[in-house]
Amino acid sequence: MSGLLEVQGVSFSYGSRSVLDSVTFCAGEGEFLALLGINGSGKSTLLDIVSGFRKPETGLVLIGGRNQRRWKLREIAQQVSHLPQAIHADLPFTAKQLVAMGRYPHTDRWFESDQDHISIREAMERTSCWAQRHRSFRSLSGGERQRVLLAACLAQNASTLLLDEPSTFLDIEQQLHCFSVLREEARGGKLCVAATHDLNLALTYCTRLIVLANGVIAHDVRTAQAHDNKDWLALFSSRLNMGKTPAGVPWVWYQ
Amino acid sequence: MSTHPQLSFVARYSLTLSVLVFLGAALLLPWVGAGPISPARVLRHQSPDYDILLQLRVSRTLLALVAGGALSLAGTLFQAMLRDALATPYTLGISAGASLGAVAVIAAGWETFLGVPMTWIGALAGAFGVLVLAIGGAFRQRQISAFSLLLTGIAINSICAAFIIILSSFAGMSRSFSIARWLIGSIDATSYGSLAALAVVVFLASALILTQARSWNLLAVGERWAASRGVRVGSLLAQGYVLGSILVAGAIALTGPIGFVGLIVPHLVRSRISPDHRLLMPCAFFLGGALLALCDALGRVVMPPAELPAGAVLALIGGPYLVWVIRQRVPAEEKI
Repeated sequence: MSGLLEVQGVSFSYGSRSVLDSVTFCAGEGEFLALLGINGSGKSTLLDIVSGFRKPETGLVLIGGRNQRRWKLREIAQQVSHLPQAIHADLPFTAKQLVAMGRYPHTDRWFESDQDHISIREAMERTSCWAQRHRSFRSLSGGERQRVLLAACLAQNASTLLLDEPSTFLDIEQQLHCFSVLREEARGGKLCVAATHDLNLALTYCTRLIVLANGVIAHDVRTAQAHDNKDWLALFSSRLNMGKTPAGVPWVWYQ
Repeated sequence: MSTHPQLSFVARYSLTLSVLVFLGAALLLPWVGAGPISPARVLRHQSPDYDILLQLRVSRTLLALVAGGALSLAGTLFQAMLRDALATPYTLGISAGASLGAVAVIAAGWETFLGVPMTWIGALAGAFGVLVLAIGGAFRQRQISAFSLLLTGIAINSICAAFIIILSSFAGMSRSFSIARWLIGSIDATSYGSLAALAVVVFLASALILTQARSWNLLAVGERWAASRGVRVGSLLAQGYVLGSILVAGAIALTGPIGFVGLIVPHLVRSRISPDHRLLMPCAFFLGGALLALCDALGRVVMPPAELPAGAVLALIGGPYLVWVIRQRVPAEEKI
């Protein structure tokens, strides 16, 4: 098996509390994975490990078929972009300065080249935040901030995008925008992995659902087959039920 | 693309301006002081004007410029490392260690050693003692975080403050007065040899810090943010800690703790010029130096022949100004 990303038997614990226990999966370009699971199920930890921020206790992460440990952090950053869950909102930087930081792993130049500026502009136009480029990040609304951060990830031009709850705190229109941007990226040949709690967003936009429970991947289903076996729903709450929208898309509702 | 040339023009403009202010301060401020100095007499090498200018005023102004620049750059650096706008050269405990060293020397009554004031040696020893302890403490864990640095700094600060209080309460009247005076921080005339040594150290440390300016930008956003863009966060924090400590220790060994310059200058440069460390750091260095030299010059002329310590002048002018700036600031939610 080969793909952009292979996670083989990764385990991790915080002190004596085991969070991930031999997690294995493999994903390739064009996929948009939803990483699901209740709070504390290890979604963020798994994303941290794939991005190189934490080292797994056992197991391997292969990026483009090569062991992640053999990559320099900077080389990983050229391949994998990670959007942390919480970014300190009171940043003095302008939107464009933040997006420009995505170019960091690609150059040693002191100031951005013209090519960098083209990438920055393209990324900001893809998430529709170019108009806010001179505004200070702290003055932006929550939705605008997320567009800027997403643009910063796109400007990094990595083949794998990891997003830790990108749609939390966003209004519905912004959530839809965020996930449709990611779906576009995946269709353009990238791999997107988004940790999320919003099952309906995941069902609507993602190609595959990975459900973490008790440190292992409890379910790994294609979205198209999500309707066939509803066991995975019970891991979130016994009150969940799944039907179909008039358009035929699976839809989760509470009882 | 349209904004790129415009931005770099702004960049060049404010940096040039900062350098000009720095050079202007170096050239003009030595002429300011309790007694007037006649340029004509200086040119003819006539005493006392020539000696006062060269031996006292110039060396003192240069010391203020270098120390102010170093402290202000260290403040900028620590604010980026800790993501805390209130971080100062004090915050990580280095200046507390230096103060303790100097205070111990004053309390013991040692004055000079081979012509070098013992307070310098005490301050340097104290600062590096703290540095070694903190590295042993905070850095032995595998993950160094801004948070552990901050907590270690707070602990060091209170321990050193306790020792300083104990030492000064046992030191007797005149020595505890010298201690209090040293703790305010003042610029005094110094030998060109020690000035040159400080300048070399400050130049090297500042240059090393500045080469990492892009990394400080990323670190100022967040550790995870920086790491997933290719910054080796742990080693960068360790570098920043050591280099910043060298700047602070060198500067305050000669001047006493004037930490406020490291709070006010970075804050103003960040909001008025740019938060981008490629620009923020050099501008903060030059403007910080100029500000401290100006405060020192003001302290010389306010009520001659007495001199106000530069640290006190800085706090008296800078404190209210900073409050005014903060009151002017529109809260983030209301900004358009």
